[in-house]
Amino acid sequence: MESTPDIKYILLSRSGVPLLYRASSWLAADHLLSIESNVFTETYKRFYFRDIQAILVHKTKRFEIWNLVLGIVVLGLVLYTIAIMPKTASDWNDNTTPGVIALAGITALLILALLLNLIGGRTCTTFLRTAVQIERLPSLARVRATRGALAKIHPLIVEAQGGELSAEAVSEQMQEWSEPAPEVASSQITRDDPNAPPRLNS
Amino acid sequence: MEGVFNQPDFAPCPACGVPLLTEVFPALFRKTTAGQSAQAVMVEGESSCFYHAEKKAVLPCDACGRFLCALCDCLVHGSHYCPACLEAGKTKGKIKSLEIQRTHYDNIALSLVILPVAFLVTVIFSPFSVIGLGTAPAAIFVAIRYWNAPQSIVGRSRIRFVIAILIALLEIAGWIILFIYIFLAPHHGIHARY
Repeated sequence: MESTPDIKYILLSRSGVPLLYRASSWLAADHLLSIESNVFTETYKRFYFRDIQAILVHKTKRFEIWNLVLGIVVLGLVLYTIAIMPKTASDWNDNTTPGVIALAGITALLILALLLNLIGGRTCTTFLRTAVQIERLPSLARVRATRGALAKIHPLIVEAQGGELSAEAVSEQMQEWSEPAPEVASSQITRDDPNAPPRLNS
Repeated sequence: MEGVFNQPDFAPCPACGVPLLTEVFPALFRKTTAGQSAQAVMVEGESSCFYHAEKKAVLPCDACGRFLCALCDCLVHGSHYCPACLEAGKTKGKIKSLEIQRTHYDNIALSLVILPVAFLVTVIFSPFSVIGLGTAPAAIFVAIRYWNAPQSIVGRSRIRFVIAILIALLEIAGWIILFIYIFLAPHHGIHARY
């Protein structure tokens, strides 16, 4: 069995905490690759453009919650650091200096986390649907990044599936689906081959 | 449901009100076709499937040449494989499009040299710090043994292997210097103080 040639991938989006857990999405010529990696392994999921039925993004409140939690903790730490900080240069001594420095360091890290959350922007959860699965794409967790990724994926899917659906066309199809299907009498169904799916006698 | 699908911006979900952006593609409305069914062998002496003796063979496996029925034919990027070759191709990484996991050997090597150092710093002078004695050579072994192992499917440099080897060599050198200092030059070592 000959080894298949290397596939060229282009990074689409990345999220997670470096070294501990990372999720990323990559574009190939005919599919989207979703990678989830921890320190020692990475796992792959491939979604071929011809098979993608829908991409669903919904906004979440993670952005506001993290801002609130980090904001309160940072504010508390800043106030506490200011309160315990010696007021004059002569008040600095070997007992107070390490504590103040440690506290200031922790506060700086939390401020950095808060800034990164603010820069990342609003959060969302993205799902991708094919005929056989609905998968979450953990790398597409920020609205801005997701919009950028969708702008790149959309034309490739449309090209692979030979056309685009307008909002009206989708609504019409959905309307058809929501209408009850006509009932089929069991005598009309043929099951002659055990390997073949049942079919209707037209 | 009108006004939810394929809109340029987020629209509230009609059920719960959560802002949604839904892109629907033609594949959603594609009619699903029935899968192929294997035909039974009708004439005696007719070629049959390697895995199903009673089913008619339709083509050979591109890897091993075994005859396959329509059920056993697995089409991957234009090539026809039998289930066994498909599994072998997946596990051995021969068919890249089937790989679902890879190991970061470079991170393992790096962890072997960094974690004991972090441990040594935090629990300095504890008896557990000698763990570092074994992990540095182990890191070098892992780095050399898996130097040519497939890295990430999206490309990854070997810089972590290089860093792991360099740190491991430094650690080994440090341990050697420490042993020489303690055992071969006692007048300079800790014994001299007592």
